[in-house]
Amino acid sequence: MSSSEPLLDVRDLHVDIPLMTGVLHAVRGISFSVGRGETLCLVGESGCGKSLTALAVMGLLPRRARRRAAQLRFAGQDMLQLDTRGLEKLRGDRMAMIFQEPMTSLNPAFTIGDQLAEVLRQHRPVSRREARDRAVFLLEKVGITAAASRLGQYPHQLSGGLRQRVMIAMALMCGPELILADEPTTALDVTVQAQLLHLLVDLQREFGMAMIFITHDLGVVSRIADKVAVMYAGKVVEAGGCQRIFRDPLHPYTRGLMRCIPVPGRTKPGEKLAAIPGIVPALVGEMTGCAFRYRCPMAHDACADDPVPVRGAAGEADHRYRCVLTPERLREEAVWEGAA
Amino acid sequence: MLSYALKRTGVAVLLALCVSFGSYMLVFLAGDPAILLAGETGTAADAERIRQIYGFDDPIVFQYANWLGRVLQGDLGRSLYFNQPVTTILLGRIPVTLGLGTAAILFALALAIPLGIAAARWRNTIVDRGALLIAVVGQAMPSFWFSLILVIWFSVKYPLFPTSGSETWRHFVLPTIVLGYFAAPAIMRLTRSGMATVLDSDYIRTARAMGISARKIMFKHALRNAILPVVSLSAAQFGYLLAGSVVVESVFAIHGAGRLAWESVLRSDLPTVQALVLAFSLMYILLTLAADLVNAWLDPRLRS
Repeated sequence: MSSSEPLLDVRDLHVDIPLMTGVLHAVRGISFSVGRGETLCLVGESGCGKSLTALAVMGLLPRRARRRAAQLRFAGQDMLQLDTRGLEKLRGDRMAMIFQEPMTSLNPAFTIGDQLAEVLRQHRPVSRREARDRAVFLLEKVGITAAASRLGQYPHQLSGGLRQRVMIAMALMCGPELILADEPTTALDVTVQAQLLHLLVDLQREFGMAMIFITHDLGVVSRIADKVAVMYAGKVVEAGGCQRIFRDPLHPYTRGLMRCIPVPGRTKPGEKLAAIPGIVPALVGEMTGCAFRYRCPMAHDACADDPVPVRGAAGEADHRYRCVLTPERLREEAVWEGAA
Repeated sequence: MLSYALKRTGVAVLLALCVSFGSYMLVFLAGDPAILLAGETGTAADAERIRQIYGFDDPIVFQYANWLGRVLQGDLGRSLYFNQPVTTILLGRIPVTLGLGTAAILFALALAIPLGIAAARWRNTIVDRGALLIAVVGQAMPSFWFSLILVIWFSVKYPLFPTSGSETWRHFVLPTIVLGYFAAPAIMRLTRSGMATVLDSDYIRTARAMGISARKIMFKHALRNAILPVVSLSAAQFGYLLAGSVVVESVFAIHGAGRLAWESVLRSDLPTVQALVLAFSLMYILLTLAADLVNAWLDPRLRS
């Protein structure tokens, strides 16, 4: 394995879900890569396929969903060739996932200690005692006080925030190289959200893990991301370095999202919050052209044509976006003024 | 756990008292027991004397307290038909029914739980459909008919098992199959639906995301949660098998408590009927209590 190879490399990933009414193309050919220690944020509104993308990488898609990809490589291994056993060996050991719903993501019938220890003992030939010690160590790491006494507790005895900390500890049991976090703070109180976000970033640095962080919250993205991929209707519409994207967003969708962030001080009290009009289109059946054209203030006839060109912003090799318009055209118009 | 167990046991004892009062009152449901005892040729004076001898003219609560005191000492009265203590008769019959019922419920569980798990694991496939077919047939087939079919095949055509009686274990094989197959469908369907729900749950996805092996997820993480309603249902089914095995006991001429109950009703042998109702009810209460305690042990949320 060459050192320049990214930790995770995904090329042309599709997720299809057969329905009664046709095939739902939930993820429609997305590509991205994550280097060691790097944080990639997948951003988009509900139903854009960001969660399914993460589940597809982990091989955890719902049973009806079908996955195909041109390439899915993790740490030099071709994940497309792995059988169930091979996948089980990878999951929880070298790549782990944290979910959105802390209230239901832990097994109600077993103690926290059992569930934490089980992960380590599944992947490493360690004794009960060693697994327990690792669990206590990590529970302390994720900021749980009196960790040793918590081991005997059941999930229903803990608050949502504590359960999510336990989930993080569980994901870290084997010291994975990659963490996939699917909106891990969305279901929590705002104060707890901020704490958990800091915790996750600190742990990521300390353990040198790469992270794919899925969120719809651009405020979070600006604080933690190295790279950003903005998703719309199953496709990446704009991707690039975090600073680039925030300083010079090009795609009308990205710019619309940015405009929706209320800024303390700038957004006046009582002022109507910005929104992107319309809803995400249904993804059942074939779709041609740009999926955003139904909501885009700059849409014109050419947007319905296939394929939509993927362009680079001049001078920035990895800042790319999917639109018929040139960067110059996009920059010169205040696209969203008066749109809402 | 201990306080929960004590509380549940307390409730069970109270319930048993209510049931015992109910079963005592059965005597009066069937008409005036004194007239019944005096018989068709008895005079009004005979009935009055019987009333005094048996204490039927005392207040009901007083009679009940007396009766309960005797029952607690193991005295269930005398059978009008056998002219023997009911306790003696019951001690001869109940072990037979209990043995048959236990064998049947074990057979039902051994058939239903693996089938239910397999049906949930391979949902909407041929495995699931096959399991459903087995369940539907078991549910729809009348016990007496299935009994006769088994007798024709495995006693007459191929004499593997005796047609009737209750002397050796071989006498119990066919009745066990009939009763067990009757109890299995409900248990199987509940296992399937429970497993199907649990396998789609978030914590199973978590276990998979942590690389826990498929077998461990199935039999440790999922089954532990899916089995709770199955435990309750199995206890109810067990109780039902004990009290409702009349048909099967009749077909195979097994002298168990179910058959005794049926015959005693026909003979108007009230003390025996009363004792059987009490015995069956108590077994039911005990089974429900056991199911609740097992569930509390399985699911920590039920303990608090």
